[in-house]
Amino acid sequence: MEINQITENKRDYMDLLLIADPQEDMIDRYLDDGELFVLSENGDVLTVCVVVPAGGGACELKNIATAYKYQRQGYGKYMVRYICEHYSSRYETMYVGTGNSRKTLDFYKECGFINSHIEANFFTDNYREPIYEDGIRLVDMIYLKKRLDTEIDVKRVVDLALRAGSILLKNGGEIFRVEETIQHICRRFHVNAVEIFTLSHGIFISAEEESGEAYTRVKHIPLSGTHLGIVAEVNNLSREISAGRVGIDEAFNKLEEIESMPPKRSYFQVLAAGTGSGTFAMLLGSAAAESIIAFGIGCIIQIWVLLAKKLNLSKIIVNITGGVIMTTLAAFILHFFGSGTLRLEGMITGAIMPLVPGIAFVNAIRDIADSDFLSGTVRMIDALLVFVYIAIGVGSTLAVYNSMIGGLAL
Amino acid sequence: MIRELVVNVLCPFFGTVAYVVLFNVPRRYYLSCGITGIVAWLVYLWASGFASPAAASFVAVIVAVFLSRMLAVRMKCPITIFLLAALLPLVPGAGIYYTAYYLVTNQLSMAAERGIGAVKVAFGIVVGIAFVVSIPREVFQVHYWRGKKRRKRLKDLN
Repeated sequence: MEINQITENKRDYMDLLLIADPQEDMIDRYLDDGELFVLSENGDVLTVCVVVPAGGGACELKNIATAYKYQRQGYGKYMVRYICEHYSSRYETMYVGTGNSRKTLDFYKECGFINSHIEANFFTDNYREPIYEDGIRLVDMIYLKKRLDTEIDVKRVVDLALRAGSILLKNGGEIFRVEETIQHICRRFHVNAVEIFTLSHGIFISAEEESGEAYTRVKHIPLSGTHLGIVAEVNNLSREISAGRVGIDEAFNKLEEIESMPPKRSYFQVLAAGTGSGTFAMLLGSAAAESIIAFGIGCIIQIWVLLAKKLNLSKIIVNITGGVIMTTLAAFILHFFGSGTLRLEGMITGAIMPLVPGIAFVNAIRDIADSDFLSGTVRMIDALLVFVYIAIGVGSTLAVYNSMIGGLAL
Repeated sequence: MIRELVVNVLCPFFGTVAYVVLFNVPRRYYLSCGITGIVAWLVYLWASGFASPAAASFVAVIVAVFLSRMLAVRMKCPITIFLLAALLPLVPGAGIYYTAYYLVTNQLSMAAERGIGAVKVAFGIVVGIAFVVSIPREVFQVHYWRGKKRRKRLKDLN
């Protein structure tokens, strides 16, 4: 089930619009200026509605209709809830005018509308044919209204914001991006009394409800893999939400979709790590043969990294062992195939690349530059320790190799 | 000549792109990431002709991060993606290796020199990034400069 705004060929939906408003020229009066929304499922159009601005901070729901065979299944109510939320950032009040019919009046009251005013003789003046509903002739237009900002549930907004923030933090977003996203989402849904405190491993968020009660959530976010694709997508979603193009329910669904975005395929990652190692080796002055070996070692290192991720090994083990693996491989190749022609450093400097903690380093710098010193320091230590671990792995293996063959060969 | 072109343009490009793949950067950013990598490396190469590695990294980072910010505003995406690309060709990976190597071969003064060199480069990168990310965001939006021109024109008219 999805709701879309239609901007072109609005007249394609005339059949449905005529269910609610039987005279086509009356529909034409508002269709061009109005915003048309369509609820569809599996390609079938179930419900349509048209909203026009009414001036003075208000808008008017001009037409809402559900196809006959789908009526009384909650689609109309869902649509009303969606548009109320959609327009809550732009308008204070939504009006709706309807005939004096029990059925429709009850529908709107269930949706949260209350009586507003009556326009006498509207139906007899504007419509050529008399309209009957439930056997009663419609004469006066009864207007109902609804305050739009009451639609917002503080808890749901905070949950949404927290969800978006934790996805960002988990996948390599900076502290300020997390806080900004949370603030944007809260402000868009009129939750203004909100305080956020973000650390590298957790988010604390507290918002005040209208009753004066505080709603607070704490979320612990363990360190895990980086997925910048997800960060970019959440960023886009946050823009869409701020611009008022995405409602709360839709946002929850989209976040779920974004979070389940898979990482790049393993073989692709392995090849990428190899390519990175090979090209960076060449960049740092290695000969062609050494670069090709660096390519191979880089691939093997990435296989190790992926394996370690599956086994949930700690960073210490991953990086020290990574250093050991690359140095052992390079020493082995040097010893048996290339004494004299190959250099150990030419192979290793490139092969280090897949282990380099690029994102932790970049984010640490950004956090410190934004004066988020606490998170910045934690991430910086995280990054620097990885360098130290690699050096330990490489160094200890070199020492062993050295003592085995007597140092001169290096 | 051709070898130099391959080494200094194609290598940073493919190296950077390959590396950002590991961080699951979406495909549509590959090209701009690669270009950021090339720019960072070429500026580093040019600057290292007359400056120490740390100073050259600093200059390269400033230019590349400036480019990253413009790209981030233009492509409406988190700047982290391009920062990562800008930083990669400058990471002192070789520094780590040599430090470890001299340490285990007991050439402590060389180890200290290499180690401190690597830390200096890292600091150059840190300061460079911190510098450019502290510039207010509006500067990188096109309408800021348009507005500026208009303001200046108005001033000239008056």
